[in-house]
Amino acid sequence: MLVAPKLISDPSVPYPGGPAGPSGDRRVVLRLVISPDGAVREVTAPDSEAGDAVFAHAALVSARGWRFIPATRGGVAIASVIKFEVVFRDDAARMAASANTTVGNAPAGPDAVTVPTRSSPAGAIAGAEDVVIRGEHGEPSRTASLTRAEVREIPGTFGDPFRAIEIMPGVTPIVSGLPFFFVRGAPPGDVGYYLDGIKVPYLFHVGAGPSVIQPGLVDRVDLYPGGYPARFGRYSGGIVDGEAAEPGKELHGEYNVRLFDAGGMVETPFDDGKGTILVGGRYSYTGEVLSLVSSGVTLNYWDYQGRISYKLTPRDTLSVFAFGSYDYLGQKTPTGTDTLFGTEFHRVDLRYDHKIDGGNIRTAITGGIDTTDLGDGQSVRDRMVAMRSELTYKLTKGLLLRAGSDVQVDSYDVLLNVGQVSAAEASVFNAFPSRTDLETGVRADVVWSVAPRLEVTPGIRADFYASQGATAIGIDPRLATRLALSKNARVLTALGIAHQTPSFVLPVPGFQPGGLPGGLQTSVQESTGLELDLGGATTATATVFHNAFYDLSDALSVLQPTTGGCAPGTFPTDTIAGDRGTQPTGTGGGCGVNRFPPGTLGPDRSGGGGQAASSTSATNAANAFAVRANGQAYGFELFIKRKLTSHIGGFLSYTLSRSTRTFGGQDYIASFDRTHVLNAALAFDLGHNWRAGTRFTFYTGLPRAPDPTDPGSTRLDPFYRVDLRLEKRWSIPNTFLGKKAWVSFVAEWLNATLTKEAIGTSCTLSGCTETLIGPVTIPSLGMEGGF
Amino acid sequence: MRKLVTIICTSVLAACGGSSAGSKPVVPPCDLTCQDQIGVTGAREMLKLIYNLGLQGQPVGNQDAMAPCPLGGSAHVFGTASSNAVQGSTTVQLTYVLDQCVYDNVDPTTPTQNYALTVTGTFTETGTLAVQPSSTTALGITGTDVTISGTVDDPAVMYDAADCALELQQNGNDLSGTICTRSVGVSL
Repeated sequence: MLVAPKLISDPSVPYPGGPAGPSGDRRVVLRLVISPDGAVREVTAPDSEAGDAVFAHAALVSARGWRFIPATRGGVAIASVIKFEVVFRDDAARMAASANTTVGNAPAGPDAVTVPTRSSPAGAIAGAEDVVIRGEHGEPSRTASLTRAEVREIPGTFGDPFRAIEIMPGVTPIVSGLPFFFVRGAPPGDVGYYLDGIKVPYLFHVGAGPSVIQPGLVDRVDLYPGGYPARFGRYSGGIVDGEAAEPGKELHGEYNVRLFDAGGMVETPFDDGKGTILVGGRYSYTGEVLSLVSSGVTLNYWDYQGRISYKLTPRDTLSVFAFGSYDYLGQKTPTGTDTLFGTEFHRVDLRYDHKIDGGNIRTAITGGIDTTDLGDGQSVRDRMVAMRSELTYKLTKGLLLRAGSDVQVDSYDVLLNVGQVSAAEASVFNAFPSRTDLETGVRADVVWSVAPRLEVTPGIRADFYASQGATAIGIDPRLATRLALSKNARVLTALGIAHQTPSFVLPVPGFQPGGLPGGLQTSVQESTGLELDLGGATTATATVFHNAFYDLSDALSVLQPTTGGCAPGTFPTDTIAGDRGTQPTGTGGGCGVNRFPPGTLGPDRSGGGGQAASSTSATNAANAFAVRANGQAYGFELFIKRKLTSHIGGFLSYTLSRSTRTFGGQDYIASFDRTHVLNAALAFDLGHNWRAGTRFTFYTGLPRAPDPTDPGSTRLDPFYRVDLRLEKRWSIPNTFLGKKAWVSFVAEWLNATLTKEAIGTSCTLSGCTETLIGPVTIPSLGMEGGF
Repeated sequence: MRKLVTIICTSVLAACGGSSAGSKPVVPPCDLTCQDQIGVTGAREMLKLIYNLGLQGQPVGNQDAMAPCPLGGSAHVFGTASSNAVQGSTTVQLTYVLDQCVYDNVDPTTPTQNYALTVTGTFTETGTLAVQPSSTTALGITGTDVTISGTVDDPAVMYDAADCALELQQNGNDLSGTICTRSVGVSL
């Protein structure tokens, strides 16, 4: 029996050339020679016309890196020749982006298998397929984009597309493995997360857990670190945008079983393909695993996804997309379990898409609940309902309008025991009252091909905010340009202003400060980049950026590392236990010796020398939460990628940056500034369906407090780690479903070097040492499969 | 906020199977003696804070300073003080007038020592303050019409010593005496 080859790698084909290339839809038919090992031995575009050379080139470059389950005859892998038809769609609007790739016919070669054409009546051989892929004309403000298939090859991501955020340029981790990031100097609370246009409070299960969305449902993750399109708003930092996979045209599914959780998803069409239904989810048995090593901790999480899409008419589609996530961290006691932390969120999005000539209209309504449980009867709940409408319309050739409006109402129910915590913590709790907030806005931009080589996207959005009687308006102009220097080189610029209501230090469900204290946060974001197609499925982007922040609520960065960090027997002069009659040294007030000048009164250090622990830390934290700082971030980003699904693929992501804050009349380096952040990964095909990958991560240590015993040291020790990944894949030609399938054994190890990370300095009378955490390491063994 | 960060870090460790968090120890309830111990510790820490904020580093001699309590309230401290920088000691004869002075200690590593107290009253402090270890603190502290109220311990227990007399002696790190006529002793 003859079985056609099946594409298993990322089929992405970037929309080529930007404005330099011809716009509009194009079709390119490729002729692929596929080896028995599944690699593409040869690829040509024999029928491409001269005017389509740019598209043919893009398709050829991408196809060279594709991988297949090889064709088989009688169960034996053989070489094959097939045709692929790649359809490019001019989708500067993104949402219209898709390209169909069809396995078609090929003339028989010496070792070739003859596959009937798709249009042939005899064409329905086993395995003939339609593969929906993306062909995208990217946004100038987007610095990095990774498909799900590529993310699978990156060690340390565990196949989660959203985990790939941390390797993108401009992203600075707080702590290795912890999925909270500074993006071009903007704190984690100012980074917005979207899935298919729906805002979500967070993306990852508790701690270093996996993403809250089944990986198979996420088609691609884009990072917009600044100057983003007008459709993104109400965040003054970066935007992480996950795009859900388009509804599949045939039954498909995938699953994974790992040491700590299991998940899967399946999607099937119905009613002759008019509709599709998808269900998926993940369940963690981490609690059971932890019980084997630590009886005191309970950790659970699960998530679910469901989607039904139905084409009412060729122009009208109705969809429901529901998803949610639950996390729980508790500590067992003799009488029960104390809740340390519990969160959950749920979203239901009902959307109606109507195609019009030259565009598309989407109307959607979203309901959601966010809950955070802090134990002891304390909780925060946010019930939200939102409506949005979106229009994409091609006004003329070369002029695309994208507009929309939305309104969101959030009802917060807050139960916090303010009377049972310290005054400092109570002041923080009081920032989260029960209330109802309103946000609404309108936005529009146009993608304008001003000249064959120049594309300009001016845009603007206006947002209105109301909370506890306070109101604010944010006007956010945006401007992006794309200038093609040549077929393979483009200059991209992005400029924008963004506003956001005061934010909590970390994105925690329901923890949104009420009353707009201090007004809106504002950022001015600008960047200029050079994008190069280097050939051989390799692209490079080099970008310089500058972000200015005003009235930033960034409690993490305004806490200067001034406490501790002093020489043995000395104390910071700006703390209440320090000697204040001495000469300050260094920044932040410096350190004082443990004696005092003659003629002055010495300190009272009876009872151990220090003051009560929280009097400084809690007060500082409370103050930090309330203060608003200015700041800026600037730097250089480099991202070089050879498709990770190639025989040998990889990437290098490097960020050189400086992030500063201005607060209390002082200018200083932000607490989480890291000068160098480097991620490099290599994925290679070992043959016989073995793939291996390794990733190296390095970043500069955090700023450290002044230390007179080591005055030259201004940073904590740098951090590095190595992640490993090994995969063995088997293809199953025929399953009980009559479909080809695959199954993989995957071993993965985040931080195989077991490196500990310095997060601060701890001083005692006997000396100062760096405070280390970890090693945060996550080994994983699992099986993955799909059909 | 600190709790959230702590929790997140804890969860990271937990996810790695390396959590150091074990079962929460069972602790006996904090009785009145226990409450008094924490109460006088808080009052002593409060005087120390006011001194360090208001007088430390000032020239020797007569003292008269107003010091804000960082978490609310105010304090007026006056009297005389001298010092011996070689020995690292300061001799004081000071009066503290506290008005709704708020202070707290919330340390997750020693939750049984936690408190959030508001103190009002007049205290006198006589003796030697030491920069350890080259000299030893030796103090007498008396208070009249002192009110110490708030919470002590974790889980928090309401504490209220109203209009009390306070008689304390500190020798080194040992603090002992009476509060509201009840004996109390604690090591700082």
